[in-house]
This record gives sequence, C-alpha cells and structure tokens, in this order.
Amino acid sequence: MPLWFELASLMLAAYGAGIGIGWALWGRQDQHEE
Amino acid sequence: MSELLQTYWPLIVAALLLGLVIAWYLFSASRKTRVSGTSGDVLDEGAAPAQRNKALIDSAPAATPMQPAAGIPAEPAAPAAATAPAAATPAPEKPAAPPAASGADDLTRIKGVGPKLSSTLNAMGVTSFAQIAAWDEAEIDRIDAQLGRFQGRIRRDDWVGQASLLAAGDDSGFAQRYGKLS
Repeated sequence: MPLWFELASLMLAAYGAGIGIGWALWGRQDQHEE
Repeated sequence: MSELLQTYWPLIVAALLLGLVIAWYLFSASRKTRVSGTSGDVLDEGAAPAQRNKALIDSAPAATPMQPAAGIPAEPAAPAAATAPAAATPAPEKPAAPPAASGADDLTRIKGVGPKLSSTLNAMGVTSFAQIAAWDEAEIDRIDAQLGRFQGRIRRDDWVGQASLLAAGDDSGFAQRYGKLS
C-alpha cells in the first residue's frame, strides 16, 4: 500500500470522525428539540 | 501504521478539526439562521404600541399653534394684556402652563379640554378664556364642526360657562360649579 494512500485514508477517517462528533454534538440535539 | 500516525498526527488532527468545523456549520450554524427567521409577531407586543402610535398620529404637530397666532387681530395688545393678569394673579395653582407665556390662557384649565384640544383650539386662533366666553350658539356650532372626534364637547362640558368664570378670575365660583381647578 503506498504511503499517500494510507495517509489519505487516515485523514479521511479523521474527517469522518470529526463530522460524526459534530453531528453528535450539535445535530442530534436539534433533532430532539424539534 | 503507528509510525505513520506519529509522523503525520498534525495532518490527522487537522482533518478531524476540519470535519468538526464542517459538521458545526452544517448542523449548528445553518440551524441558527433558520431559528432567527421565526421571530415573533408584531402583535406579540400587545395593543399598547398601536394605541401609542394612534395617539401620536392624532396629536397636533407641536408647531401648529404658533402659525395662526400671527393672524389674531388683537396681537399688538397681547403683551399688555399678558402682563396685567400675570401681575394680578401669580397663579400658584397652575402647574406648568406653556401657552400662558405668550399672552394666551392655558385652555387645559377648562375641564374637558386636554392638550390635544387646546392645541386644536390654538390652531383655530382661540387662545383665551374671554374668546370662548364670548361664543354664541352659531360660533359654538362653527367651532364644534372643526373638532373632529371631540364634537359635542363644547356644550357637554359647558366650555362657555367655564371660560367666563375663568376669564373673570372667579376661581372659587369655578370650583363651586365645576369642581376644583386642576
């Protein structure tokens, strides 16, 4: 596996994790409010 | 893999932060704008502001009483007339009577005449109790027709009777007949 591919996958996973955390923090709350 | 994490962890953290920022923008920032769109209705304030605005619209402009004053024929005699009653009656009962300063009587002393009616009358050139006391039936009808929603007040509140007592300076007679001076 080339290095850039591994790096890109890790960054993509981290990005996805960030989105997930953000949704858990702000998105889910608002759904309950409505 | 672990060496890769150790070497490039700042990039990974940056990607995580980027994901967080984008998630915040999607889920929180955009929702905030939607919430700000559903602001309260005007009528949530109740009817008080509407009444206040209506009163402001109905009230005469502050400048109007000054304009017809120039058209009064007895204008030159006014300053002399002004000094005489002022010297005779220091008027301790008058709270604050701005119209009295220019030789005119404070028409709001007539019961039933408020600031609005007073300024309306001033705009018609009626500034003294003596003028009102001298009104005959035809004059009352003529003035009454110009009073708008206050029509009928002249006879109902007996302005002529009140004004003749006030013009004569008969404060006790006025108090006896119409109640205490305000």
